[in-house]
Amino acid sequence: MIYLDNAATTPMFPQVMDVLADSMDSDFANPGTVYSIGLDARRKVEQAREDIARALNISSTHKIVFTSGGSEANNLFIKGRCFPDKKVACLGLEHPSVRATLEYLRSFGNDPLTLLDFQTEGRFNLQGVSALSDNRCRLLCLSHVNNELGTVNDPVQVYDALRQSSPDTRLFMDGVQAVGKLKIPAEYWGGLAGYSVSAHKFHGPKGVGFLVYESKLSIEPCIHGGGQQDGIRSGTLPVPLIRAMSVAVKIVAERIDETQNHLRGLNQRLIQGLSDLAERIPELNIRFNSLDVDDLIRQSPSIVNFSFPPVEGEVLLHHLEEKQIYVGLGSACSANSKEPSQILKGIGLSDEEARCSLRVSFSINNTIDQVDMFLKEFAIAYENLYSTFKGKEK
Amino acid sequence: MKESRTLLIRYDEIGLKGKNRKYFENRLARNIRYALKEIEGVRIEKVHGRILGRVDRKDADECVQRLTFVPGIASISIGVSMEPDFDKMAEWGIGLIRPKLDNLGQLKFCVRTRRSNKLFPSTSTEIDFEVGSRIMKALSYKGLSVDIKRAEFVLEIEIGPQETLVFDNRVPGLRGLPVGSSGQVLSLLSGGIDSPVSTLKLIARGCRVHSVFFDNRTFLGRGGYDKVVRLAHILNRYQGGGKLYVIPFQDIQVAIRDYCSDANRVVLYRRMMYRIACALAESKNCQGLVTGESLGQVASQTLENLAAVSCVVPMSVFRPLIGMNKQEIIAQAKLIGTYDISIEPQPDCCSVFMPDHPATRSKIQELEADEKCFPWEDLMARAMDAVETINLDEPG
Repeated sequence: MIYLDNAATTPMFPQVMDVLADSMDSDFANPGTVYSIGLDARRKVEQAREDIARALNISSTHKIVFTSGGSEANNLFIKGRCFPDKKVACLGLEHPSVRATLEYLRSFGNDPLTLLDFQTEGRFNLQGVSALSDNRCRLLCLSHVNNELGTVNDPVQVYDALRQSSPDTRLFMDGVQAVGKLKIPAEYWGGLAGYSVSAHKFHGPKGVGFLVYESKLSIEPCIHGGGQQDGIRSGTLPVPLIRAMSVAVKIVAERIDETQNHLRGLNQRLIQGLSDLAERIPELNIRFNSLDVDDLIRQSPSIVNFSFPPVEGEVLLHHLEEKQIYVGLGSACSANSKEPSQILKGIGLSDEEARCSLRVSFSINNTIDQVDMFLKEFAIAYENLYSTFKGKEK
Repeated sequence: MKESRTLLIRYDEIGLKGKNRKYFENRLARNIRYALKEIEGVRIEKVHGRILGRVDRKDADECVQRLTFVPGIASISIGVSMEPDFDKMAEWGIGLIRPKLDNLGQLKFCVRTRRSNKLFPSTSTEIDFEVGSRIMKALSYKGLSVDIKRAEFVLEIEIGPQETLVFDNRVPGLRGLPVGSSGQVLSLLSGGIDSPVSTLKLIARGCRVHSVFFDNRTFLGRGGYDKVVRLAHILNRYQGGGKLYVIPFQDIQVAIRDYCSDANRVVLYRRMMYRIACALAESKNCQGLVTGESLGQVASQTLENLAAVSCVVPMSVFRPLIGMNKQEIIAQAKLIGTYDISIEPQPDCCSVFMPDHPATRSKIQELEADEKCFPWEDLMARAMDAVETINLDEPG
């Protein structure tokens, strides 16, 4: 099997599975109880919290709240800060868990500002900051790494621009696709009011993630109950998932240089290979929707998104599936909808170009040979399918 | 001793049957026993044009729920055996009506009595009055009123020689004929909204309906297959004993795409589906095909194209939705519980190689000429050799 859909999810690291299995057995006690085994469980959660903070250079000005994953963390911060009437903005290319949360606020008359006019290369063009101050926005929500394109909004650059031109606007970033792919240096935290993370995107377990938020901010909870985690997120903490996640965070943080080099190699091989194919096959035209640059400030090497009209991405995906090669169509959360990707349309693609696209996303587990195998099978499938779709170009 | 309840199960059309009525009754009783086979201590009896079920009190609601899936039943109601005492019968009725009244705010009701024990001192009308007036006295202040013609709740009383039963409101059944009384047919199930509805229409006419699905996972992935398996399991709840046959169809579609005229593709796909379904039906003792076609709904469902596909099979093709519009079909799909699965986005295998301008009036001669351009007999034989059979009585 060749798994090239690592932006959808990643397989767990063996060390993570070991900790998870062990902890399922040994850490069953409720960390909210007062007897010794409960206190032990609680101590392990706090240890995991510290390990995560250290691995991601999270400063003491920020706190970590464990959640069920990235979607919950996005909901918690945005609703918890802006419900019902604080004005909030996004670029319009964010994950559905950000965009739909803003739409939810709209249903209470709190109309969000969408900055699609200020997108360049799938990133936020800093000239758009003035629109934030004009509209008295209190929060700007951006993807750190875009989930379909891999394009990057640099927290430092965006925060500097906000501080200069819209100082009342705080910055929230969806970091789900960034952790494990980009370095998270301490300087980021000076500008980030909130940041969401999901464990299964970096070889951790599904069902757990966290929100990092500036501790001086007040956040209204979405889930009420026993008052765990300072009352911000009630619910018994899943100790094994949290411990396993902390192991995954530590591993990816320790291996970040090696990972980035590896991903760059895969990325370049794929882009070069697709360009070569386009030269060799006259009827193949590739349009790269992600950026072909070796610049981590603008593009994560983990994701390559490209279009190849007139052949439909989903049909090509199933042909690759027959060869046990798995790639993505876009966000897995929206892959069930047959509407063309809003993100691809948001950067200016036509419906057809958006439908005729694939997302290849890498992890440290992938190899150059796998990329070559993908290229070979992609070419076979494309040539096989071209006759079906030719003449259907709109 | 356990407290028991009596289910009164009324037939639908069986009541209209003549000499062979007994055959239908026996079939229905057998199907009812099958539907309730996992519930302990159920006794089914046939009594004077109706079927009675004796069940434990705690199982009564579950039994009724299961019986609403059994074709041939007009309605079911749960009865309790009691002394023929007006106060007690009224008290029981009040207990049934009060929660409904609390929920709705107002309710029209009436009492209907059948008195087969002619030794009982009051007439049916007198019993209706005695029990009804007691209930009204207790509940009229909450919004209960009497309406004999348009009652929303009917309390039924049966005073027989052996026992007196008081029944809750009737729960409507599926109606139609008992499964197995009309033989077997094979339905072309696509995963869309229409074909599950047409399948159930034939089940409710007494057929055991097996299904065939044409799978093109090379192009469409396994999602369509998974969806059809789930739909087939839902439909099998109404009959039991159904099978789903899965035919790999991609090679046939590719051949038609590559060797035949674009405009005729969809009709050519369907002609191949009909041929395969017919051969499969013959080998499985099915006496007809069932499709979800509705006249004029899409290009392949014009009169000309329906004729162009039907003529390749020497077998009856049943199209129970032919005169229904989409809204009617959707309403039925919601009712039978297939709609939510059907609308999950998943292209069917006709849409993948859909030409831009499909022919709406295919000519048989042209279709036959197209079919000379690819080895359809070989491809059909190969597809049939690779059939997968799923027994729908086994959990999916």
